[in-house]
Amino acid sequence: MSTPTLFDYQEVVGPDIVEELTILASHVGNRSIKMVNSTAVGGGVAEMLHRIVPLLNDMGIQTQWEVIKGDAAFFEITKAFHNALQGNRAHIQKELFETYMTYNEMNNSHMDFDEDLIVIHDPQPAALINWNPRRKNKWVWRCHIDMSHPSEQVWEFLRPHIEKYDAAIFSSALFSPELTIPQYRFYPAIDPLDEKNRHLEPSVIDAVLTKYGIPRDKPIVTQISRYDPWKDPVGVVRAFKMAKKYVDCRLVLIGDKAADDPETEKILESVKAEAGNDPDIHIILFSPSIAGEINAFQRAADIILQKSLREGFALTVSEALWKSRPVIGSAVGGIPAQVIDGYTGLLVHSVEGAGLGIRSLLTQQDFAKRLGENGHRRVKDEFLITKNLKRYLLMLLALDQPRSHRIFLNR
Amino acid sequence: MGQVFQFLSSASLEMLTGRKACNLEELLSLIKTCSDTSIFYHTFSAFLKLREIQLPQNSDFAIWASMSLNEKALAEKLTAVDFSEHNTIEGLRRHLIDIIEAYKTEKPQAFQKTGDVPFYLYDIVRIEYRTDKFAYDLKSFRDVIKTVSIYSIYLHFIESRQRADLQRDDFSAWIEGDLEMPDLAQTIRRIDINVHTMEGLRTKIIRLIDEYLTGIN
Repeated sequence: MSTPTLFDYQEVVGPDIVEELTILASHVGNRSIKMVNSTAVGGGVAEMLHRIVPLLNDMGIQTQWEVIKGDAAFFEITKAFHNALQGNRAHIQKELFETYMTYNEMNNSHMDFDEDLIVIHDPQPAALINWNPRRKNKWVWRCHIDMSHPSEQVWEFLRPHIEKYDAAIFSSALFSPELTIPQYRFYPAIDPLDEKNRHLEPSVIDAVLTKYGIPRDKPIVTQISRYDPWKDPVGVVRAFKMAKKYVDCRLVLIGDKAADDPETEKILESVKAEAGNDPDIHIILFSPSIAGEINAFQRAADIILQKSLREGFALTVSEALWKSRPVIGSAVGGIPAQVIDGYTGLLVHSVEGAGLGIRSLLTQQDFAKRLGENGHRRVKDEFLITKNLKRYLLMLLALDQPRSHRIFLNR
Repeated sequence: MGQVFQFLSSASLEMLTGRKACNLEELLSLIKTCSDTSIFYHTFSAFLKLREIQLPQNSDFAIWASMSLNEKALAEKLTAVDFSEHNTIEGLRRHLIDIIEAYKTEKPQAFQKTGDVPFYLYDIVRIEYRTDKFAYDLKSFRDVIKTVSIYSIYLHFIESRQRADLQRDDFSAWIEGDLEMPDLAQTIRRIDINVHTMEGLRTKIIRLIDEYLTGIN
């Protein structure tokens, strides 16, 4: 499938939105962007950059994407940083901070930073700014993780580097720490034209369900998430069983697991134990996940659950809402930004709540349909890739006049 | 015959201020001390962000009071805040403060509550730009307004009020000043934005123009 152009999104978002993007791009003119992150494959950031970089170029904004280099040792360190910034309190040895800086310095020596806007993604390359003190361009740190309760040790190390940037971007006010530089909110976004979200013919959906032996004889309740305690798959099974006393339905649990993670095996065993011999509970392990099949399962579901105990932004919720599926989500992380209780889905706080939600939505189908339609609209307004294109263009323009609250593009 | 109306549009970047409120006392403090742009953003931007899903509240303050504090009466009072009662953002701010302070007298126990989630204060950078859409007369205005984005409608009908007078929107100002149609301007000025989605607002304006044109003919 070829990479979509900006105009391919017209049908999805409307010609007026695409037109205004081109107007903004014309004001940006021949300014350029460089995106820097730590991997070209795997993970949401790489997935996002694979889509947004070509689209920016398609709009005439010269955008480069560079990936920093490092060996396994470096990425073990940055994984430890990542966990620490998300709340893990394990002590990190001083030498590891020095190694981190060494790798950042090495990468800096192999890179040019001639573009007008440099966007550094996440902690791995964050120290690159240190070797560019006399820069004339603007540097922005884009943080994709939850930094609301970072480890003090790692944050006190990283913060002075971040405060050298012209601005920082976070996915939510929930995730942002205190900083002396301006902070902006960029919601994460889905691409409505990628394999995970594009329209599928009913025959394609049917074929996927047949492949996995899922009958279509009764309503399907689905959760699609890693087999991880934070996603509470055992809770999902319990909620389903509570609901099933009142409404006949089928549960399809789909997830993948991190490679060589013994914890995941334990979770899977506990989910199977909870499910017992119920023929209406299907536990599917994807290894690896196939985007098109996830798309099919989401579209086949009558209800999609995201009953997490803890979450980052949970963009999987936007994927479900985009498909106009009624969503029952826990009131954690970024889920409440996407699911407005009673309007774009249901927010719950317990297994019992999820069970009641399933009963309610399978019985009140008009209400469920309305939630799905509203959810689709919410994603269209806030969580599509075209919105993030706009945000990057606005960032380029806003950083020209950092103290202004109103900028008029007079041309 | 006056000037041509060039449709503008706008887009905003949301800035995290680092400030939040966990209860009504803290919310009051935020409202008293935040910037004018924050006041306007939190009072009216839900029209743009959430109105298409027809939430009953149209202000971030009201949404928080309702969903996070479960103070429905306060949410209603905050939702009912109307442009027509104020000329300035300072007047609007004062009104919001008066509502919350009056609520403190009416229901002091509400001030003991902590919200399920905090109210996060945002500020914005608003960027306005010209589109290539123009109106020369009422008919062309009506035809073009069908095609502009809701961001353009939001700018001209709601955001533009920040420039001079909260009771003055670009559309009715042009219709009255340049087309010399004060009656039509007045009916547009009196549209109750609390009951419309942005698309509904577009439809309403077009309908009022159609009725006016039919009346002329």
